[in-house]
Formats: sequence, C-alpha cells, structure tokens
Amino acid sequence: MSKKRVLVIDDSATVRMYHRSVLEAAGYEVSEAINGIEALEKALAVQEPFDLYIVDINMPKMDGYSFLRQLRQQPIPQVPAIVVSTESKTHDKAQAYEAGANFYLVKPIRPDDLVAYVCLLIGQGGHQ
Amino acid sequence: MADNSITYEDFVKFREFFYRKTGIYFEDSKRYFVDKRILERIEATNTGNFRGYFNLLRFQASGDELQHLINAMTVNETYFFREEYQFNCLVNSILPYITKTKTPGSLIRIWSIPSSSGEEPYSIAIYLTEYWTGLKDWDVEIIASDIDTNILKKAKEGRYSPRSVQYLSEGILKKYFKPLPDGDYQISDDFRQAVEFTHVNLFNLTDTKPYRHFDVIFCRNLLIYFDDQSRRQAAEVFFDALRPGGFICLGHSESMSRISSLFKVRKFPEAIVYQKPEEL
Amino acid sequence: MAIVKQRQASPISQDERRHIRDLTGLIEQLSDPNPIARRWAARDMANYPDSVSALAGQLDRETNGTVREAILTTLMLIGNTDAVSALVRCLRSEDAALRNDAIEVMKNMPDAVSMIIRDLLRDPDPDVRIFAVNILESLRHPDVQKWLIEVISNDKDINVCSTAVDLLAEVGTEDALSALEALKGRFSEEPYIAFSVDVALKRIKDNG
Ligand SMILES: C[S@@+](CC[C@H](N)C(=O)[O-])C[C@H]1O[C@@H](n2cnc3c(N)ncnc32)[C@H](O)[C@@H]1O
Repeated sequence: MSKKRVLVIDDSATVRMYHRSVLEAAGYEVSEAINGIEALEKALAVQEPFDLYIVDINMPKMDGYSFLRQLRQQPIPQVPAIVVSTESKTHDKAQAYEAGANFYLVKPIRPDDLVAYVCLLIGQGGHQ
Repeated sequence: MADNSITYEDFVKFREFFYRKTGIYFEDSKRYFVDKRILERIEATNTGNFRGYFNLLRFQASGDELQHLINAMTVNETYFFREEYQFNCLVNSILPYITKTKTPGSLIRIWSIPSSSGEEPYSIAIYLTEYWTGLKDWDVEIIASDIDTNILKKAKEGRYSPRSVQYLSEGILKKYFKPLPDGDYQISDDFRQAVEFTHVNLFNLTDTKPYRHFDVIFCRNLLIYFDDQSRRQAAEVFFDALRPGGFICLGHSESMSRISSLFKVRKFPEAIVYQKPEEL
Repeated sequence: MAIVKQRQASPISQDERRHIRDLTGLIEQLSDPNPIARRWAARDMANYPDSVSALAGQLDRETNGTVREAILTTLMLIGNTDAVSALVRCLRSEDAALRNDAIEVMKNMPDAVSMIIRDLLRDPDPDVRIFAVNILESLRHPDVQKWLIEVISNDKDINVCSTAVDLLAEVGTEDALSALEALKGRFSEEPYIAFSVDVALKRIKDNG
C-alpha cells in the first residue's frame, strides 16, 4: 500500500519541520509549502493529488482561508483540510469552516493529537 | 587621472540610490562587479572620483549618465525559445482561452518585458506564426520593452550569435533567418517590423502608465533581481497593465508565491500561469 | 490577420485615469464607485506624503482587495510614521488577508516601524504580538535580535514565544543561547517549544 500524502502549509520553517517529523514518524509522506500560493501551485502540479492539507492561517501573500477558498474552486479532487492557528477567536473558526476546513486546531499541537486528527480524516499512514 | 577608490560607504550609498531608481539591489557579494563598472564610468565621464561622479548621476537633468550606468549594470542574458514550454502554453492554451471570450476581429495584445536583445518577443512572434492556427483570424500586437537602451538597439537590429539561436530547429532557422558572413544570423525583416520595441523602466510610473489592456504579459528572469518591495511594485504595474482575465507568465525560477497575491493561479496542461481576476 | 503594430499607444485619456491628478482630485477619486479608478488614485498618491489620512480613511471603508493592496503599497512607499500607524490598525482587522498584507508591508519600513515596535511587542492582544514578531522577520534593523530575546524572556504566551524562537533560528547569534535555554525550562511541558528551541540552538551553534 502506498503512503498517504500530506501537504503542510506554514510560513514558519520550524513548524513545517515539526509537522513533518511527527507525521513521517506516523508513516505519512509529507510535502511543504510556505504560503497559500505555493500550496496551490503544488496542489495543481502533482500527478496524484494529496490526501490532506494542514494549513496555517497567517501567512504572507496568501493566508489560509484564501487558500482554502481558492482550492475548493480548482478542478482537482477535493480532499480534507485541517486548519491550525495561534488564534482561538470564534470568528476565525467560523471563517475556517466556511472556507472548507474539516477541523480547526489551536497551536501548539501535541504530536499525538495531530496524528489522531490526521488518522481520523484519512486513515493510518502507509506501512514502512 | 581618476581616484580609483570606492569605499564601502560609497558602495552602500550608491546601492540605495540605484535601487530606488531601478528596483535592482546589489548584495555585498556584488561589490566587485559594481565597483568595476563605476570606476569605468568615472573614467569615461572625467569626473575624477566617486563623489564627483555620484553628483553627476544624481543631479544631471537629462539623466543620460544614469542611463549609461544602467546599461552597464544590467544582466542581459537571453536566447531564442528559452523556457519553450510557456510558448507552447501560449499557443495551445492561453490564446485559445482568450479568443473564446473576445469579440472576433479585436486586437490581442502581448507585452514582453524585459525583452533584452529581443529573443523573447521574436520567439513569441515565430511561435505564433508557426504553431498558432488562430493567427489567420486574429490580429496580434507584440510590444517589447527594456530599461537598457543599448540592448534595445541590438534588439531592433535583430542580429544573433550562433549561441543565441542554438535551440532553434534547422527548419525554423532556415525559414526565418539569414546567415551572415561573420557567422551571425539576421532575423527576417517581417519579424523586425512586426515587433515594437520601447524603452521602459518598470519603476517609473510615468513610463509604465500608457501600458494598458494587455491580454498576456511575459515577465521572465527579471523579478529574481528584485527584493520584496520592488516585486510588489512590479506586480501592481502588471495588474493594471492587464485586461481583466489577462495572463502573466513568469520565469521558471520565479513563483508568484514570492511576489504578489493579486493574481489567481491557473493550471494549463503545459504550465502554471497567473491570471488577473475577471472581476475586480 | 497577422502580427501588427498599432499606430499609437493605447489612449489613456479615455480611461479611469483621466481626472485631475492633484491631491484634491485624487482624494475625490479615492472614493469613486469604480474600483479601477480607486486603485489608480491610490497608486498615484504615492507622490503625496500628505495623503496618508485620506488613504487610511479609505482603508477602513474599502471592501475591494485589489484597491486595499494598492493603498498598502502606497503607504509603504510613503513610509512615514503616519503611514505606519494606519498599518498598525490593520493588524487588528478580522480579515486575515488584510492583516497579513499589512505585516508584509511593514517589513519594508525599518525606520518608521522601529519607533513603534516595542509597543506592539507589549500589546495586550497576543495575536498582535505574534504579528509584531512576524514583522521583525525581514526588517533590516540592527536591534532585531535584542527585541526577540526580550520576547522569549518575558512573554507569557507560548505562541508568541515560539514565533520568536522560529525567527531566532534564522537570525540568532550566541547572545541568544542562554535565553533560549531558559525558555525551554519555562515551558518544560510543551513538546513544540522543546523541538523549536533545539532547532534554534543547533542552527546558532552550527553557524558560530
Ligand atoms: C536576464 S534579461 C531577461 C530577458 C528575457 N525576458 C529572458 O527571460 O530571457 C533581464 C533584463 O531586464 C532588464 N531590466 C532590469 N531592470 C529593469 C527595469 N527596472 N525595467 C525594465 N527592464 C529592466 C535588463 O536590462 C535585462 O535586459
């Protein structure tokens, strides 16, 4: 069975590294993008679609909500998305769900929680 | 005899000035390249030292010396059919898309900036002629612009080295170029007359204002020399130069993700390009 | 049909830029019903430092993203303290696109931003403090590391601290080492802090 593929979208290099290390340890394959535009470019360029997006909200050039809104209009297979943010305000959550997120998690996220939510949405990572 | 010392402070002062004028920013690592050219210009203008020369640059009413220096500082490297997949995308996807929504008989406008010595706009012209059947039904205007006046002169002459044409097929070379005795190639007069070359500094609002209503803009291998702030300004210029729904193609190593959020990402089979929204 | 040249450049006189381009004229244009005219007014105002209050006022009302983007670019080019104050207000907006665009623009205004950054770093709203740290990311200013060390030594909010740590991983020097170690102690229960501090420590030591 081939590995499930996750695109991690965050402008912080350390956050991307962190998510990568957690998800790779759980058997997922991880790609990275530094903002919404790069994420769209990657999502459109790949032959096989990603299985899941993990999206930060505040990023330069294109924020997480705008990314999700544009992603949902693209002619590609639509897959789940988890929004992760430092903000816990209710209007942010509402915006995220409206834009097409499946979960809204507040940072910092514990490794077990991250893996649990990912697993809930797309099943376990491929076997190594 | 020129005083040939340029201090680090001089370099920094010059760098800020040049950046404000052209959007081009020289890192410290470019110091040798920059100093060498400034010294050449001090010599050529008989201004004696950096201070004298810098004053000339800043206060000369005609701006001629600034133009000389810009000509000396720009990187003009280019060749025919560079990043050919984008020309494929133009004739197979972008133009068919544009012509679907345009009134038949109206003009299609393409802007190649920076054009450097002309290889890019001429490549577009060749591509349209060879590979786009739509050319029998539509008029296309190709405007090509650069900040460097010397390179524009070369572009209009249309003489190219074997290196510059190395990626063209035998067939195309035969059909549209004439070999010259010195080994160079002369592009046919039809193309020279078809492409309009103009002098434009992307950072001069007065220069760029008349450039409007374009359907496609090629801006390749320029933004890599700019910092964030100049990229943002360049994006504003392109946005306003495009028609709603118009497209912009960037160089292979330039992604809009480092430049601006004004445009939409569009996937075509041959390439990813950027589009101005249909509605503001 | 063919590749052709037009006789004349496209007539600008017939479009949205036709009106008077002095400041009074531009301010009027800035609230024109047509967004294209508003964008042009905003762009042309870059030549008028006195236009900041008009731009700031329009920013509060403006619903069109492309016009807002032009207003922000112009505020960046004007670059004075009034322009920065207008941008600071955007950091509190509910609109994520506007907040992030304001952050980007402020990164390019080292002088004006350095006057107010300390206040931003002490703002009661942790989100604003995070944005202040984001602004430091590419602000060409000699005190950036000093400000970041203050943040990780004093700020109670874990996300503010971790944003500062991420940045120290890129710009930090040996001067930041002890503050980083101390932070790890302060949030000893948090796996992300442990992870990011270790990344920063390693980077700094490798560079040194
Ligand atoms: C490397 S060439 C790119 C040519 C062609 N587009 C390509 O991709 O092969 C870069 C050109 O940018 C031009 N240039 C630099 N700064 C400019 C500016 N501010 N406005 C217009 N052109 C500029 C230079 O003169 C140079 O000819």
